Amino acid sequence: MTLLSGQRAFVFQRLSALVLLAYIAAAAVRLALGAPVTLAQWQAWAAQPLAAAALLVLALALVAHAWVGIRDVVLDYVRPFAVCVTVLGIAATGLALLAAWSALILVSHAL
Amino acid sequence: MRYPVGAVASIGHRISGVLLVLMLPFAVLALDRSLRSDAAFFAISGWLRLPAALLAWACAHHLFAGIRHLLTDVGIGASLPAARASAYAALIAAAAVGLAFLAL
Repeated sequence: MTLLSGQRAFVFQRLSALVLLAYIAAAAVRLALGAPVTLAQWQAWAAQPLAAAALLVLALALVAHAWVGIRDVVLDYVRPFAVCVTVLGIAATGLALLAAWSALILVSHAL
Repeated sequence: MRYPVGAVASIGHRISGVLLVLMLPFAVLALDRSLRSDAAFFAISGWLRLPAALLAWACAHHLFAGIRHLLTDVGIGASLPAARASAYAALIAAAAVGLAFLAL
């Protein structure tokens, strides 16, 4: 399996989709049961270490899912090859920065 | 040119996915502001209604069409009539969510 192997991307995309689906279902159930809706309640909840860790996993799953999706779309439509690779590089850098930024926000809020 | 409904649901899944990725920086910014008590940041003014509805549609379509793809992967609803019916269902449900946000 190489870096751009379709099979690994396929599995990765579906696993991250299932993780995101689980989060959406959990959020829907929590909201239905009257989960924190004010800004203050949300902040208190997100400051708990377990909640922050769960949100971090969510952010990472989202970025991973976004990466495979964007990679598929760019590989399918962007030509010539040099432009395709450049766009992939920009997307990878941007998504990595977003993951790092999310981690920084969540960890600094929980500490 | 006439596209089958499955193709429309499928390309919509891609378009909504790209839209959602482009909105990710704003999602992280919203996370940052929400943990800093910036209530003013979340006051949606009138001109943001259209982008908000578009985003709601993208979320809904990506979710519904995505669940449809996952089920098809494991062989549920893979027959042509079932796949066509679920494609219509995903398209209509997502459009309804978008319109509901527009009316909100």
